[in-house]
Amino acid sequence: MIRDITIGQYYPQDSVIHRLDPRTKLVGTLVYIISLFLFHNFMGYIIVTLFLAGMIHASKVPFRFMVKGLRAIIVLLMITVLFNMFLTPGEPLVQVGFIQITKEGARIAVFMSIRLVYLIIGSSMMTLTTTPNQLTDGLESLLAPLKRVKVPVHEIAMMMSIALRFIPILLEETDKIMKAQIARGADFESGNLIKKAKSLIPLLVPLFISAFRRANDLAMAMEARCYSGGEGRTKMKPLLYQMNDYRAYAIVGVYLAAIIAMGILL
Amino acid sequence: MGIIKSENLIFEYIRRDEEGNVEAINRAVNGVNLDIKQGDFVAILGHNGSGKSTLAKHLNAILRPTEGDLWIDGHDAKDLNKLWDIRKTAGMVFQNPDNQIIATVVEEDVGFGPENLGIPTAEIWERVDKALKSVNMLKYRKHSPNKLSGGQKQRVAIAGIVAMQPKCIVLDEPTAMLDPNGRKEVIDTITRLNREEKVTVILITHYMEEVIGADQIYVMDQGSVVMQGTPKEIFSRVWELKKYRLDVPQVTLLAEELRNSGLQLPEGILTIDELVDEICQLY
Repeated sequence: MIRDITIGQYYPQDSVIHRLDPRTKLVGTLVYIISLFLFHNFMGYIIVTLFLAGMIHASKVPFRFMVKGLRAIIVLLMITVLFNMFLTPGEPLVQVGFIQITKEGARIAVFMSIRLVYLIIGSSMMTLTTTPNQLTDGLESLLAPLKRVKVPVHEIAMMMSIALRFIPILLEETDKIMKAQIARGADFESGNLIKKAKSLIPLLVPLFISAFRRANDLAMAMEARCYSGGEGRTKMKPLLYQMNDYRAYAIVGVYLAAIIAMGILL
Repeated sequence: MGIIKSENLIFEYIRRDEEGNVEAINRAVNGVNLDIKQGDFVAILGHNGSGKSTLAKHLNAILRPTEGDLWIDGHDAKDLNKLWDIRKTAGMVFQNPDNQIIATVVEEDVGFGPENLGIPTAEIWERVDKALKSVNMLKYRKHSPNKLSGGQKQRVAIAGIVAMQPKCIVLDEPTAMLDPNGRKEVIDTITRLNREEKVTVILITHYMEEVIGADQIYVMDQGSVVMQGTPKEIFSRVWELKKYRLDVPQVTLLAEELRNSGLQLPEGILTIDELVDEICQLY
């Protein structure tokens, strides 16, 4: 299950979306996420679905690769669905004892889960098509004005890119430790919640120790390569807007306008 | 004076208790004298805990000498202002390839060093191309390091240093975590860098097979240099090496045993071909 998380993994491919400036993609994703909460009718879903489908097609990332990432949020999804279904007051659809499913509840549950799924797919689109280095470059340059109020923008961006780089490595390591502990008779499956949580200790302790050791090694390797913070650094891939970025901004703008218009008109 | 020179270099790890009082002093490097010429391939051998890695970290100014002197290309290692000059002169490759690759794409990782040095963009690209070519990884430039084999990852790490164009590369047990194929890839790569690009190479290892091509070997034990010489000189002292818990290459050991049982073989045979030639000449 652990291996299914696709957020934070880059999918190498040469597509229009991959070549876009990371700033365009960041702003686009932000607009997309906000847009998901701007409409309440059926037409809105059609527009979002079309937009998302178009993006996925243009990115040339296999669809199943994105769906894989959804498995990680299945629990969250279930909770959302159940709460909305049972706890929304309104016209009852099914009633068993004091438990009832209302028409409004069912509707909200379905739409809410679609929103969540779209949210995850949309944001994993960004990380799948943008290398973490580009992503942090983009963030760094978008947030650069904050440097004036002494926010360590470069340091935060660097930390994020390193965290992203180590996600797959630490996941692999978790898998390895898990197998090693299972081989020695550890049981991660049975028992109640408290017992299960306790059984995670022999997994988490070695994982943390190894993560600290890795961090130490990495810091040393970075210093050995003359890293001394953001001052005086140049960029191998400086951010430059291309023609396609302006087109992308235009598309995102039209999309947002359509969604807003939908909210006002219908 | 050579590119690296040390006189009576001493380094102590000091362990303190919670109040900051000194609890134990562990002298990891004890009076080491080095003199390494520009363009040489130098190997530092030693078993675990012999102080070889601690010594290596001095060459890149990650650690600074407790006592004694160390000059890297004329820069005094004790002078804090020279820190970046030293790191520009002597690049360092570490043991675990996973823990020294910063970026998620091969070419971006190779570009990390030059970016830190403030090299203009166009030149970074030239350097990255050249560095990847020199370690034979050019066709993997767009790949994710996670998908590469150990030997390939380590070659990317070497390219990351090469792109900074240091005069000297220090490799701290670069092959310890690799399989035999990966080991060969890495050793071939650094040998080629040394021969073709004239980079000074300092290889720290405990695999004797890897140092046969070296110009000069230092053997370390308990923080001190106990033997020094060319591979031939070192490997002819088979029993002394055994004492320092180092494994002599099998051919050398076989030749030594044959010599002891009365065959007229010279000392310090390093390769199978050499041994075959010598035996053929006997009859």
